[in-house]
Amino acid sequence: MMPQRLLAVIVAASLVPVAAAAQSTIKIGYPMPLSGPASVYGVPIVKGAEMAVQEINASGGVLGRKLELLTRDSKASADEAVRLARELIIKNSVDFLSGTLTSAEAPAVSTIAKENKIVFVAPTSKTIQLVSPANLHPYIFRLASNTDIDGRTGASIIAGWKEVKRVATIAPDYAYGRDAVGAFVDFIKKARPDIEIVDQQWPKLGQSDFTPFITAQMAKKPDAVFCDVFGGDFVTFAKQAAPLGYFKAIDNRLADGGEVGTTDAAQALGKDYPYGIWSDAYDPVIWPENEPAAHKTYIEHLKAFTKEKYASGWAIMGYASILALAEGIKKAGSTNSAKVAKAMLGLSFDTPIGKLTFNPKTHETEMGEFWGQMVKDDRYPFAIMKNPKYLSQGPFTD
Amino acid sequence: MADASFLFGQFLGGLTTAMFLFLIASGLSLVFGVMRVLNFAHGSFYMIGAYLAWQVVQWLAPILHGFWLAALAAALGVALLGGLIERLLLRHIYGREEIYQLLLTYALVLILGDAAKALWGTHQLSVSRPPMLAGGIEAFGAILPAYNLFIMLIGAAIAVAGWLVLTRSPSGRMVRAAALDREMLGALGANVGALYTGMFVVSSFLAGLSGALVTPIQSIVPGMDVEIIVEAFIVVVIGGLGSFWGTFWGSVIYGQVLSFGILILPGFSLFSVFALMAVILIVRPWGLFGRPLR
Repeated sequence: MMPQRLLAVIVAASLVPVAAAAQSTIKIGYPMPLSGPASVYGVPIVKGAEMAVQEINASGGVLGRKLELLTRDSKASADEAVRLARELIIKNSVDFLSGTLTSAEAPAVSTIAKENKIVFVAPTSKTIQLVSPANLHPYIFRLASNTDIDGRTGASIIAGWKEVKRVATIAPDYAYGRDAVGAFVDFIKKARPDIEIVDQQWPKLGQSDFTPFITAQMAKKPDAVFCDVFGGDFVTFAKQAAPLGYFKAIDNRLADGGEVGTTDAAQALGKDYPYGIWSDAYDPVIWPENEPAAHKTYIEHLKAFTKEKYASGWAIMGYASILALAEGIKKAGSTNSAKVAKAMLGLSFDTPIGKLTFNPKTHETEMGEFWGQMVKDDRYPFAIMKNPKYLSQGPFTD
Repeated sequence: MADASFLFGQFLGGLTTAMFLFLIASGLSLVFGVMRVLNFAHGSFYMIGAYLAWQVVQWLAPILHGFWLAALAAALGVALLGGLIERLLLRHIYGREEIYQLLLTYALVLILGDAAKALWGTHQLSVSRPPMLAGGIEAFGAILPAYNLFIMLIGAAIAVAGWLVLTRSPSGRMVRAAALDREMLGALGANVGALYTGMFVVSSFLAGLSGALVTPIQSIVPGMDVEIIVEAFIVVVIGGLGSFWGTFWGSVIYGQVLSFGILILPGFSLFSVFALMAVILIVRPWGLFGRPLR
């Protein structure tokens, strides 16, 4: 009898520290593509989130408890993200979910958050479906801009080019590209009834050869182009379009709503960047004039944290996703998801790129993006955004 | 509706796509034709070639714009890697069922993908066009970038060289014999093992070379291996698995169907190519130039 009881005591005693450790950190599950083509964005976003966790913990954590980030590779697949979200909840008993990159992953994980009543902050998914009335529930929050904002801000840039009459579009053939271009066309028709959409091209995501799309578009002789090709695809597109005389033919009047105004795309293209085009970025990173002090500090930290010479424009989304959760927990005074979800409605918080507020109706921050012309600057071996201008959906909402 | 110079430009665009795909698919088709190995890792060799070329360009950058040297070094590096993989791994599964080949080469896709990520990270990388091919040539009102012309010439040169070697040279005769009956060739005293290694090295060289040659017109990103292997498979299915000329014409058809398909159905860029593949699989499952398998 005795040895058994002793054993039970030992087992019980050995469990105590584990239970106490689980109590002491606030766990945030973070599925994100860390392999495959989408890791180009997933990796810097996770770095941003890690840095936010480190900074918050260094200053004492939240409600006296440290944050713990549990990062997992979602492989940009909705199925995998769902599996990981379930595992993080059941096996790792995470308190909150954030992460996911694409418009396939986020709505899928949102249903898991709803089922388990756990707050989920989606940093980058842009699909309007994520928080559409049919899919909205108390626990889903979106940090990023959405496809409506992308299309509308792009349209506001092109609407400003008075001489433009013939506009073409080119965007990847899936929900994101189709929705953003749809919003663009709707708005440009309202803003400039004199503009005609002369051509629309839909290359696939990961297209290796854009040449036939480019030549077909040039044949329709557009004056300007709304483009939503992004990331590595934009690098390929730009390198193939330039020698065909594409950018010259439209006098560089191309507005790209796919964040190719970040240092990431600019560095990849180097001097092959089509200087003179317009694009957007969540974070322009390099901000030669009127840089906010908070942004400057943030970029310095990020460069030191990632040991990179120039920081990534995507890290801000990971960084801000953690800030949003931390502020929500603080406001709620609890890590109870139901309380945090309530606290996040209307929550305002400061980020290095400005103040963000979760709209209590849509659960979105309605974050805009920085738009500007991409120009040559002798201080950098790649294109930078001239006078980044923050455009949000405010003035364009119906 | 459309004028002649535009249609000519569209034709050239399709031809660029075609020759570029032929560079990649030729090695894949060659290995299948002779060795009956469906090498899923062919796209990974292509990706490693692209990363190696980028790496060598970076190393040479302080001294010279060494794109050509880098391309050659990358192709040789991948050829060496292919040779090692054939000797150490593939060799053991030749006589076995196809499923083992698929599992092994697919495992290589995962291993090489992770290795590339560990070595070069997840950033999108790119190489500048060699200065002498930076411009474009105007022909019948259409602009043809000099680099695209160069890719076409390389594709055509490889097609001709491959055909000459296969049909006119003693080693080509051995290769054709191995494709027909491996055991008989071995029984006649030929070193089939060395022949297979040689074939795999040549195929890997072509994959590495094409990977290196696309770096001036494409971004180098994780996942480019899987993206390209799908397109290469479509090409060899259309042309006929294992048929050298089939791969050539398969590429040409793929390029032109894509190029003119987007004119007719702009909203369905992928539809035309996949529809063509589906029709061929139904009507002639062994492809346009292939032989029916037993």
